[in-house]
Amino acid sequence: MAKDKITSSSTAEYFSKNLQQVGFSSPTKAVLTTLKEAVDNSLDACEEEEILPEISVQIEKVGAGTLKNTDLIRIKVEDNGPGLSLDDVPKVFGEYLASSKFGRGRCSRGQQGIGISAATTWAQLTSAKGVTVTTKTKSMRQAVQVQVAVDIKHNKGVLKDKKEGKLKSGHGLSVEFLIDGRIQLQGEGGLITYLNGTALVNPHLTLHYLLPEQKQVTVPRVSTECPSVPPATEPHPHTMKLGEFIAHSHLFGRINLKAWLKKGFSRISDNSIAEFVKNGMDKKLVDTSVDKISESHFKDIFSVIHKTELMAPSTKSVMTIGEESFSKSVRRLGEVDFFSVVTRKPTICDYKPVAVEVAVARLKNLQKSEGQEDGPVQVLRFANRVPLQFDKSACAIVKAIESVNWRAYGLPQPKDSLPVGPYVIAVSMVSPFIKFKNASKETIDASDELVEELRRTLIQAGQRLSRHIKKEHREQDLENKLRYIEQFCPILVDCLCRITEAPDKRKKKATEGLEKILGRDLSVAKKELKEADIAAKDAAAKGKIQIIKDEPESPAEEGIAEDSDEVVEPKESKEKGGAKKAKSPKAPKAAKKPTAKAAAKSSASKEKSAS
Amino acid sequence: MRGELIPKISKDLCNRMLTDLENARRPVLEAIKCSLDNARYSPKVGYLTPGDKKVQTELNVSSVQKMSRAIFLLEVLLRNIDTGAVNTKRELYYIAKGEVKHDPHLKPLDFQDQSESDAVIDFICEMLECYREDLNCYANDRGGQTYSNQLVVTETLPDGTKAVVDLGSLGTSPFQPKNRPQSLKLKAKKKIDFCLVVESEGTANTFVANGFCKRNNAILIGAQGVPSNAVRGWAKLIQDQLKVPIFFFGDLDAYTIQNIYRTLKAGSAASLIRNSDFSAPDVHFLGVLPEDIKKYDLSDYPVKESDVSEARALKKAADALKNDPFFQDKRNKQLSKLLEWLLKNKRRCEQQAFFMVDPRDPTMPEKIIVEKIKKGIYL
Repeated sequence: MAKDKITSSSTAEYFSKNLQQVGFSSPTKAVLTTLKEAVDNSLDACEEEEILPEISVQIEKVGAGTLKNTDLIRIKVEDNGPGLSLDDVPKVFGEYLASSKFGRGRCSRGQQGIGISAATTWAQLTSAKGVTVTTKTKSMRQAVQVQVAVDIKHNKGVLKDKKEGKLKSGHGLSVEFLIDGRIQLQGEGGLITYLNGTALVNPHLTLHYLLPEQKQVTVPRVSTECPSVPPATEPHPHTMKLGEFIAHSHLFGRINLKAWLKKGFSRISDNSIAEFVKNGMDKKLVDTSVDKISESHFKDIFSVIHKTELMAPSTKSVMTIGEESFSKSVRRLGEVDFFSVVTRKPTICDYKPVAVEVAVARLKNLQKSEGQEDGPVQVLRFANRVPLQFDKSACAIVKAIESVNWRAYGLPQPKDSLPVGPYVIAVSMVSPFIKFKNASKETIDASDELVEELRRTLIQAGQRLSRHIKKEHREQDLENKLRYIEQFCPILVDCLCRITEAPDKRKKKATEGLEKILGRDLSVAKKELKEADIAAKDAAAKGKIQIIKDEPESPAEEGIAEDSDEVVEPKESKEKGGAKKAKSPKAPKAAKKPTAKAAAKSSASKEKSAS
Repeated sequence: MRGELIPKISKDLCNRMLTDLENARRPVLEAIKCSLDNARYSPKVGYLTPGDKKVQTELNVSSVQKMSRAIFLLEVLLRNIDTGAVNTKRELYYIAKGEVKHDPHLKPLDFQDQSESDAVIDFICEMLECYREDLNCYANDRGGQTYSNQLVVTETLPDGTKAVVDLGSLGTSPFQPKNRPQSLKLKAKKKIDFCLVVESEGTANTFVANGFCKRNNAILIGAQGVPSNAVRGWAKLIQDQLKVPIFFFGDLDAYTIQNIYRTLKAGSAASLIRNSDFSAPDVHFLGVLPEDIKKYDLSDYPVKESDVSEARALKKAADALKNDPFFQDKRNKQLSKLLEWLLKNKRRCEQQAFFMVDPRDPTMPEKIIVEKIKKGIYL
């Protein structure tokens, strides 16, 4: 007998002691996770009701935190979603594993109902206050503001201080957390990276954000199409374990095996049942009621089903952003030079439907900043349209990017590493069953099938991009050749004539001859450029690659802008028109590879060790 | 000697190029390919010689920079030959930069760092099939410090005068051979029995301090690792002019056999065009031999494969067995067997291990070496 009494504890108790498992492992991550959970919930809620989301985020430091090296931070997120009824508020914000989405097999951002309750717990643990929620549904006359706390002992939400509230739009929800944390704006785990990433994969979102020491930013929507999350399909029997299989049968009451298999699973037809019988399933069982089938029989049925080949699961339950919307959204990343977008058809990886989309873009502002050109590309990872920002190296997406030979597409790449250059590679993966490595959903597990599917999409995007890069290289080549002829011809002839003490007559003739020789090379280079140009234009015409002209076509498509200068929405730009900055008439040309580098390379290979 | 012909060969080459240009033909510069895949070995010749492979550089827009740089530096080097001035590669790098500074038209030729100008100098040497010393471009003299009580060296100076150095009069100070030892004449005051090249400079010093040269009619050379041009040319000179047997004494490990000893005996793949004057094919490998470990119970230790340089040495040795014509030749079977033994057993023994045989007798290593020479225990 154990000395101590064995007690059971609530889910809330477990999570309150293990918040690091769900994204609260450091003060910086606490801020990001809280923001992420709030924004994810808003986007999911809007999508459910087919509302075009408009979300405002406000984050500020309000004092010193109670924990060492932290600040007290206020995070406020307000949406124009359907709002929550007061009955649901304590469940959503104060109760763990209370979710409308758990195990439904849909591609929603949130799945289990842990995140936002964990954020409330963090707020409660560090600032002794839960979350302040203001909600208004269409049926409510007035917005209501309440404080929600987690009753950790009983895994329940508790409402306090109910009073009248205020919201910007007619319905929606606003949450305000006061937590200990630290603010990181830039970099992989930065708030700006998260907000921009969220905007990228949600073209239908209008996002306003105000961060400490930053100007107010508005990212307007580029698509007015509200994505509809496809309904879940029935589970595929090959994705189940025996226990799950038996438990699944209990959901259907008294129903015979045949009907249950056909109704409760996808891809099982009369033919497949006949196939099961052929493969050894007891024929008598087919018409037996499932509640009368014994465990050992279930085991037999289960193993026969697994032995029998079935059609792969349906891919209807996954959704994509679509190349058109994604293309518009990519331009919100910043000053994009050119980009390509690939949306692959949904497919099956490890018996689960998956859709992969990739955007590769070259950014002008990255080229301008020094040193960036030689740094690795920026990788934006998304799982079910949520940015993933930590533990990059173990992620299936990064593994797939590293496995592609980007050199073939004109991007320099050290061996087995990310390619190098002022590029952004955004990879979005959507699936109702994404296998994450941890509960805080930071890394996608790298199965071979999934990495291969990601790889194929990346290769397709790379191929599209390469047409334009090749054209640029040809242009560069021609430019170099012209420069070389101009610079080196006179020097070479002069040196030769001095050594041979040749008269001027010979010098003149040799110069003419040399120009003739190099002129031939030039016409070859011109021809190559012409071919590359045609290929690039062809790719652009087919929409495989998009090149952004120096002058934006319409200001509304310019993307992320600060209110004071390049404001996107014409209304706002007029308000502060005085602060408009002069725009440079011409953007800098594409990244130029220094020719000296190439020359040094060739001479280095020639170099012999001087003994 | 090709050296004196350099100005003429260069002029002819430039003339050919100029004629090609006048006729709007692309000039082609041809150089011997200096790499292992173009190395040949015949025991009759004794050193690695170049095969038929050539590296051709045809003038086009991409190579015009390289060719311009080559002809530009050739002009500088020819001027040096004309005036008798000498320079190191680094000095030439700065001379080239100086030329560019004083003539803005030459700006496109400017070298960004020394590796670029070095590569051009090497290219010129391969093209003219000469040593860089022939172009008055010298490396600093490294290694080869020599001690002997019998050897007299006569050096012909550039102005034609002669300097005579009696090594016996230098005491324990060494004689430093030149990178271009061809201007030296050797004479023995008394019959010299053998020449010993010791891999470690320090051990060679110890031998001298302990009276090696007093007790033996010999020439003692400290190689200082991979033999430089000075050491290689000097050994060749001793072999040819004095006709004394030469022995190499160094560590028993893959790097020493495959790199240091092979370079001394047969030259290297990178210097195919100069091996004839910079290798001593008659040199013998005295030790340390695997049988010495047994006989004198020497301490040896395993090769650390985790160590990057040691792992690389093993890999290079394995490559050499497969691709190096020197080790593939029947006459060098004993050496390739020794390499195989090292690769298989992955052990190494240092030359200094001879000092453990009798720790109280500082001349013990010398005694063992002399005994090995007398009894013919070498490869």
